[in-house]
Amino acid sequence: MHTCKVPPAPKLRLYRINTGSCNGCDVELAATEALTRFGLERLGLSFTADPTQADLVLITGPLTVRSKGKVLAEYAQVPDPKITVLIGVCPISGGAFRDSYAVLGPLDEFLAADVNIPGCPPRPEAIVAGIAEAARLWRGGEGPQLAPAGFPAPANLRGRMSYRAEACVGCRMCQHVCAGGAIRFEEQEAGVSFTLWHNSCLFCGMCSHYCPTGALTPTGEWNLAHPQAQKYQMVEQGVVPRISCSCCGVPMLPVVPELMRKGYRALTRETAQLQTLCSECRQVRSIGGLQRCTK
Amino acid sequence: MSRTVITLGPRQLGLEEPMYFRVQTEGDRVCGLEVLAGQVHRGMEHLTLKRNFYQNITLLERLCSLCSNSHPSTFCTALEELAGMVIPPRAEYLRAVADEIKRIASHLFNCAVVAHIVGEHTLFRRVMELREIVQQSKETIYGNRMDLAANCIGGVRYDPDAGAIDYLKNQLERLKSPLEELYRVFEDAAVLRAATEGVGVLTREQANEFGVVGPVARAAGIDYDVRKKSPYGAYDRLSFQVAIEGAGDVRARALVRLAEARQAVSLIEQCLDQLPNGPVALASFPEVPAGEVIAKSEAPRGELIYYLKTDGTDLPVRLKWRVPSYPNWAALGEMLKGEPVSRIPLIVNSIDPCISCTDR
Repeated sequence: MHTCKVPPAPKLRLYRINTGSCNGCDVELAATEALTRFGLERLGLSFTADPTQADLVLITGPLTVRSKGKVLAEYAQVPDPKITVLIGVCPISGGAFRDSYAVLGPLDEFLAADVNIPGCPPRPEAIVAGIAEAARLWRGGEGPQLAPAGFPAPANLRGRMSYRAEACVGCRMCQHVCAGGAIRFEEQEAGVSFTLWHNSCLFCGMCSHYCPTGALTPTGEWNLAHPQAQKYQMVEQGVVPRISCSCCGVPMLPVVPELMRKGYRALTRETAQLQTLCSECRQVRSIGGLQRCTK
Repeated sequence: MSRTVITLGPRQLGLEEPMYFRVQTEGDRVCGLEVLAGQVHRGMEHLTLKRNFYQNITLLERLCSLCSNSHPSTFCTALEELAGMVIPPRAEYLRAVADEIKRIASHLFNCAVVAHIVGEHTLFRRVMELREIVQQSKETIYGNRMDLAANCIGGVRYDPDAGAIDYLKNQLERLKSPLEELYRVFEDAAVLRAATEGVGVLTREQANEFGVVGPVARAAGIDYDVRKKSPYGAYDRLSFQVAIEGAGDVRARALVRLAEARQAVSLIEQCLDQLPNGPVALASFPEVPAGEVIAKSEAPRGELIYYLKTDGTDLPVRLKWRVPSYPNWAALGEMLKGEPVSRIPLIVNSIDPCISCTDR
């Protein structure tokens, strides 16, 4: 007969608070709760409808002005010590709803957050991974390790965005289309620096869709849960270095092969030369080239 | 008989979203209802004016995550109308596929909640399990289980290859007989029937008076479905019957939704079979001129109307919605009148209220 050598971890109870979400994270939480395949129960975790019985608090939504009173009163009912988990980018950074008169988030301005689970919404597997992390914190760093459960991530999952500075031309289209305000460009002496904050990223992939050179691509990496202390380290960064035009010497951003391929159909020895020129010198050179052809 | 007023919140109502009711009762019966809205008010009208058209596609998908595809697809339709763009036929079909796959997931979620409220916990889990087939399909085809990011101005952002189409067809096949069985359970199972038949009735006359839409209207015998009345996208090339019931009770609403979930499977299959070759989006994005436009679609909860005003820049001047849950929850007072207090959660969930759409 097989026996379980590891004694089961004591039960912990989870309490959910919706602070005015779009319901995406809440519906995913409902699925996480309902379906045993995601493995919450095996981690010794169950949901309670009574805040005074809870150990862990799960928070969704950006905290609307209207919900603040009820939310904070409910939160206060959960006895201390408690572990607070923010689910989805809304409570972590304000997400898509930042800068509204009706939204007060991020939540860590009002309460002590412990674990953040970014995503919009995060998949149930990510939610469980974050909650497992929270449960380990509650148990003083001990407790069952998470076994992989749920569905394997599909090939074109939109998870963590990845950035390649060597393919970036600094056109800033990604920043223009980003609804979460997750992307920042900064002019520096050495070049243009790019920063993408995963705690504000909506997983929509608009940046990669409109990126003309493929500098931004979504990866299948979905487990971005992290302790609150790492909140501002969750970034994707890179610098596009400034080089000098090989003809006039003016500082310029490098023209990447992806863009040359778009402009000139194929890469040749000539396009390789054009690539080292600033836009004005390039114009002169390529028009000159054209004249040679017609003669 | 004593009259009292009680306040019910999401926990008592069995809702995922915060919504509060002030209910007047006489004995154990409901005699009046006041909806205390606004908990999910995120200032969306204000936000959409601060975001450009591209950002608004993503923002609007988060107006509500259960009907998330209906919002960006209707918004894109409005922009395309203003700009005089005709999207490629392949994109029209793929938009319908995205809308219908979301419809199945949304209707199944409501079905599961109704089962949960009447105490059928095994059925609740079964429906949630079935819904996972849809969630898994969305994640595999689109890359996210809730917010598909399927739309862009001028078309769609996904182009399924033969492998993806085969996969989706296979997933649809897996849904067919469980969906059929689920319909029979909601139609015939004694417990469900006893709990839902004749409960929370909204007559045809009342339905007309309140202007309710979607499954709530169709359950009361009103033949109104935007996909048929004013077909948009690929819907004029797809064959389906508008799902109609007559009783106007909780059972009828559940049956309409389940019929529509089955129909959605067939609609996606038709789309995949007829799917024309060609591009999925227009290559260029012409300027959107100044103007105003109305676009509408049949979201899972009913008719969704977009009003958009532009001034030639890429920021909207005004964007306003008429969401289906708005007229539907106004009619809740009629459905609840004279019902026992204990039935409030069931009746409220039978209109599948979307708080985030309505409060926005």
